[in-house]
Amino acid sequence: MKPLLTRIAAASAALLGGLIVAGCGGGGATADTTPQVNITSVKVFGDSIQDSGTFGYKFTVQSSDNLIFAERIAANYGLTLCNFYAFSGGTFVLNTAKTGCTNYAIGGGRITYTGAGAGPTNPLNVGVQLATYAATGSYTATDLVIIDGGGNDAADLVGAYLTIPKDSAAAYSGLLGTLLTPTQIGTALAGGATTTAQIAGVYMTALADKFYTAIKTNVLDKGATHVVVMNIPDITFTPRFQMVLDSVALASGGGTAGATARAQAQATFQAWISAYNTELAAKFAGDERVVLIDFYKAFQDQVATPAQFGLTNVTTPACPATGAGSDKLPTYTFPTCTPTALNAAPPTGVTGTDWWKSYAFADGFHPTPYGHQLTQQLIAKSLATKGWL
Amino acid sequence: MKTKLLLGAAATLLAAGSAFAQSAGSIVVYAGAAQIKPQVESGDLTAPSLAGTKVDVKKASSFVGGVTYYWTDNISIDLPIAAPFKHDVVGAGAIEGTGKLGTVKSLPMTLLAQYRFGDANSAFRPFVGAGPTYGYFFKPRATATLSGITGGTTSNPTTLSMKSRLGATLELGAAYNVTKDWSASLSVTKTFIKTTGSLSTGQTIETTLDPVSVKFGIGYRF
Repeated sequence: MKPLLTRIAAASAALLGGLIVAGCGGGGATADTTPQVNITSVKVFGDSIQDSGTFGYKFTVQSSDNLIFAERIAANYGLTLCNFYAFSGGTFVLNTAKTGCTNYAIGGGRITYTGAGAGPTNPLNVGVQLATYAATGSYTATDLVIIDGGGNDAADLVGAYLTIPKDSAAAYSGLLGTLLTPTQIGTALAGGATTTAQIAGVYMTALADKFYTAIKTNVLDKGATHVVVMNIPDITFTPRFQMVLDSVALASGGGTAGATARAQAQATFQAWISAYNTELAAKFAGDERVVLIDFYKAFQDQVATPAQFGLTNVTTPACPATGAGSDKLPTYTFPTCTPTALNAAPPTGVTGTDWWKSYAFADGFHPTPYGHQLTQQLIAKSLATKGWL
Repeated sequence: MKTKLLLGAAATLLAAGSAFAQSAGSIVVYAGAAQIKPQVESGDLTAPSLAGTKVDVKKASSFVGGVTYYWTDNISIDLPIAAPFKHDVVGAGAIEGTGKLGTVKSLPMTLLAQYRFGDANSAFRPFVGAGPTYGYFFKPRATATLSGITGGTTSNPTTLSMKSRLGATLELGAAYNVTKDWSASLSVTKTFIKTTGSLSTGQTIETTLDPVSVKFGIGYRF
């Protein structure tokens, strides 16, 4: 055996060679921001929650860095969004301030718009938005399409249902009549309270069918292969509808009777929304081009376990009420609801700024920028599971 | 006749190979490959997150080398030196199916005290070992998926990190001495080690890794 020192030297040389091969070394945290699918354009259709600024503001706290969820999804692909439409002189015109905009969503958009100026070409019908793009071209494999709708339709339905005692079901019948036959409606209304409520579920199912057909004709049949469809969130948990339910309780005399009426009304409205969501899911089932986002359940989870989602308040709008509508519910003014204004006016008992950043609601019906981030994360999870992000 | 010759040659070779192959004072340097397979028990990612968000850390293979010093004929000290292992970190629990959230490199630094059965002349020597392991985790690289599900963007991506920790390793193996100086060894080790993963968005996750490793090496006695 050779002397120990010689052997140690030889062994060290062999080890050193090994270390050089290993090439070890430290390193900081980095990120590969390349998505699994190359998306070069995000096209958005829907209502206020996806509106990038048709009316000159977004339906949340105003700030250039306060992105809505569709914009956050676009940002995951390194893209930005701008509003395709602009509101001018009481009508919707092409946004000429910016060109190449692909966000067609408009605040107040509905699957079936029945308000002022209603008609088959009004882009407040989400289907018209879809058809408008479809008329100009088709989709490619690098397009991501994000579509929402139905939330305002459901709100309209609740409103019309609750005014049945005042207008002898005129508004309710009118809305139902946009999709159901007079015979269906007449039979239901004549059948008593239960069938009167249940017919709205039939309407919501038909509404889902209508939306599905519009999406199939204008998006899927036009070559889209990456389509995100939002279902209707449980709007009964929005501050606005919590107040509506409170008034239902009050109308029933409050107390236990009021609480029962409140719970019944909430269950009824939830059943309508679920009828729509179930039908929409059935229609898109098995279509690999579509990912349906369960906004309904995710929104319920956020309200039920706010701390888990980093939310400190899921009941009070962050923006201050600036008036009251004809329905006596508070109204809000988004253009003046800025981070500066909110930071300067923390609620009683709260000190410091940024308090609103952990609130779920900006007004009675729309999420804060953080609420939008939570929805973006929800969509991103589905996109990742599909292998699209 | 031919068979007899071959047998004789083989016997000579074996005899040569077993002549004081690994005795007190021997230094054996070896090189080979290893696979580390974490047996992950993931905690839940802290809020804000989807309830029950967990992770899994996938197996990785790399080149491994090392040096074994024979303190006595039966007791040896082993210092494995591996090239970094690159593990995929994937979503589990509430985010099962989201796929790769990132990669992290690991460099397990272990010092093993081994007991080798048989005597210095044995051709086949099973051994057991035990010792401390320092799991060094470095160069974490997050994916667009991690950014997406945590609210990050391409301009402000979410990154991850894993805390380096001390653990303990148990080893079970065997060496076969091919010649006096050359040997081959195969061992299985179990390391008990935990780590804390952190996201740049503030959440943390406690994860038990407890990997099982299989290591094969060819050694030369200096």
